[in-house]
Amino acid sequence: MAAINWALIAPLLVIQAILLIVALIDLIRIHATNGPKWVWAIVIILVNIIGPIVYFIFGRKTS
Amino acid sequence: MRTFTILLQKEFRESWRSFKFLWMPLLFIFLGISDPLTNYYMEDILNAVGNLPEGFSVTLPEYAPIDILKASTGQFQSLGLIVLVITVAGMINRERQSGTATLIYVRPISFMALFMSKWTAASALGMISAILGYAGSLYYTSILYGSVKFIVFMEMVMSYCVWILFASAVALMFSAMFKTALATACTIIALPVAIMIESLIGQYWHISPWKLADYSVQLIAETNNEYYLKTLLLTIILTVLAIILGILFTRKNAAATKI
Repeated sequence: MAAINWALIAPLLVIQAILLIVALIDLIRIHATNGPKWVWAIVIILVNIIGPIVYFIFGRKTS
Repeated sequence: MRTFTILLQKEFRESWRSFKFLWMPLLFIFLGISDPLTNYYMEDILNAVGNLPEGFSVTLPEYAPIDILKASTGQFQSLGLIVLVITVAGMINRERQSGTATLIYVRPISFMALFMSKWTAASALGMISAILGYAGSLYYTSILYGSVKFIVFMEMVMSYCVWILFASAVALMFSAMFKTALATACTIIALPVAIMIESLIGQYWHISPWKLADYSVQLIAETNNEYYLKTLLLTIILTVLAIILGILFTRKNAAATKI
């Protein structure tokens, strides 16, 4: 297997990390979510890329 | 005009506070750069996870830059578009259901300014995301596969932006018509599902807004497509139509707001 050029892959990992961290910080600071908070924490951490985005669309309660 | 500017500021502030301007561009960049990368490392990926038998060999095609941009467009048109239209389809009716809209509707505002401010914000969000996504895709494509003429690339991106304007106008129109769940369902059928149908049986006609993204990518090849301009024109006409219907329904359904 050829050596993987990490400089090429890094941006993908950085994007995933930013989304994960922002979603988690927002989850901690928000007063209420649609559904229990710990479920959203699991979704954000375990589901790659889609997890944080699903949280941003459906999880945030705006009122 | 002044109400429009104020409402637009409110829309941008709201989108900013709900992190839309952060995660939507990031998603599109992710979709844009994932295709050039997975195709580039396809052999390694197959070897690592494919569980292929001893001596098995696959010949992978030589990709040209246009193939990769086509693949990225496919990603934007499926996952990217679904996420974008779900977000936009809740912009008007969610305010009505939460009661926020009541605070706006009791003031003497024009519904045109209200609808246009939302459409501008939604389109700006979609276009920024698409432009950044394509920029990411082009960056990797030019590193790994070869360069693309910048002028034709700009043409393609502009043309895709017209499609984004159309998509957000349609999504917002449904948002003005129905409640959240129904509006989301209608929008998904009218845009991402329609694209799928188009790719299945679309060879029987040549002019339709759902073909615009495909035609945009073909601009890269610089082949003359006689249907392109007509498709572009039809898309713009339908966008204006969707906006007019949307404004009418925003006014008609203003009474539906929760107090």
